[in-house]
Amino acid sequence: MSVPPNDSLMISGIFLAGFAQSCVNLNIVAGQRATRLLANYEFGAWYPYGQFRELQVNFFEAYSNGAPILERVGIEMMRAWYHFGPGKDIVKTGVDFLHFQTGSQGYASVVKGPVHEVGSFVLEDVNSERGYARILSTTPFDRDMERGVLIGGMSAPGDLDFVDVTYDRASNCYIVEFH
Amino acid sequence: MTLEELLALHAPPADAALSPQELVRFFWKYKGLVKERERANAYWSTTNDNLKHAYERLDEKEQELARANAIMQDDLQVGSQIQQALMPRDASALGAGFEVAVYHRQMTEVGGDYYDYYRVKDGSVATGVFDISGHGVSAALVMAWLKSQLAQAMGHSDSPAEILSQVNDVSYEFLREVKKYATVNFVVFGEGHLRYVCGGGFGLLLSGDQHTSFDKSQHFLGLRKKPYVEHSLPFKTGDVLALYTDGMVEAQDAEGRDYTVRRVNSLVEQHRDRPVQEIVDACVADYQAFRGRDSDDITLMVLRKVG
Repeated sequence: MSVPPNDSLMISGIFLAGFAQSCVNLNIVAGQRATRLLANYEFGAWYPYGQFRELQVNFFEAYSNGAPILERVGIEMMRAWYHFGPGKDIVKTGVDFLHFQTGSQGYASVVKGPVHEVGSFVLEDVNSERGYARILSTTPFDRDMERGVLIGGMSAPGDLDFVDVTYDRASNCYIVEFH
Repeated sequence: MTLEELLALHAPPADAALSPQELVRFFWKYKGLVKERERANAYWSTTNDNLKHAYERLDEKEQELARANAIMQDDLQVGSQIQQALMPRDASALGAGFEVAVYHRQMTEVGGDYYDYYRVKDGSVATGVFDISGHGVSAALVMAWLKSQLAQAMGHSDSPAEILSQVNDVSYEFLREVKKYATVNFVVFGEGHLRYVCGGGFGLLLSGDQHTSFDKSQHFLGLRKKPYVEHSLPFKTGDVLALYTDGMVEAQDAEGRDYTVRRVNSLVEQHRDRPVQEIVDACVADYQAFRGRDSDDITLMVLRKVG
């Protein structure tokens, strides 16, 4: 997390529901715990960001290395968003997703609160010919999950043969390579 | 030939060729699959590690559970021994004036039914049949509590109502705190009569031609802080008294029908001229033939005045 969140930071119910559903789809949570989790969030409501942090701690503390799991959760969230949610109507190509996610309907629509805590998710550079993009991220999200969101969202339309995302901690930037 | 056409084939034709553009796509598709495999490997490797740790934690929890279970079993064993020590070994405390038989069966190691024989302040003999809510060690501890309170109360009175009222008064707060209560039938025998308090127990007195059900049921011990009222009935030589707990009458057959108070009373009446042990045996045999499954502790006590 790049910014320590507090109670003034809020996260949308639709994001939490998507996160929860992905964890259930991947069997990170199962049984009665899963049933309770899925019943927890209303799409139209907002929740303190701390609830999301608690969920992550509860789900991933057992993993000695949570990075690949969080990355997969991000991929799964976008896979479900594209194939079973509104994604297919919104983005037609992998590059469309980059513009969508960094625009007002993407990250900015699921977190609200003080500007310095919400942070930003900005497409600083994109070159479709070279298959290169750079995104500045100062969001409070886990970087592995966010990387998964980018991979999953760009891969879902199916027009790209290759997608790789690396995070440069020094510059807070994701370097996206796609072909 | 496009990349998709080539990949749709089972095997590449000998003269297969891709345009430079398709070759580039092939390169990136291959690289993309390698990247996907790397991610999948990392994901499954972590998942596999987590599964291994989960099994290790499960093993630890199983061992903890086994240790806790062993402690509980030991506690239950001690509870059972305590309970046996609280029960009378025989009916000698009643003296020679009674013929007594008891059937007492518990569903678990430590049950909630309790019966005993006493001697009250004026020297009269008495008996009580109790059904403490729940089972287990807690029921045995409540039983021990009631026994001690009864012993104290009987040192101050020979009235069943006074004795039980005093026990209820001193036990009320405690029983509420531990969320327990007890049904009771308490009977003090006098010359030619008996006095009883019925607080939720079941009973039948056959005295000459008179058949009296203990249906003047009052509150259970621990449910209300209110004095008990006693009743007096004739009890002469040859008369039969049956006291029992709800485990018997609430038993159900395979079709879900209740055994009923009427059925128990009818059996006692039908066999009233036989030795009390045979009356108990007849009731138990009928009950066992009736019931679909056991659901509660059972106590059935039958007494006859013999002299």
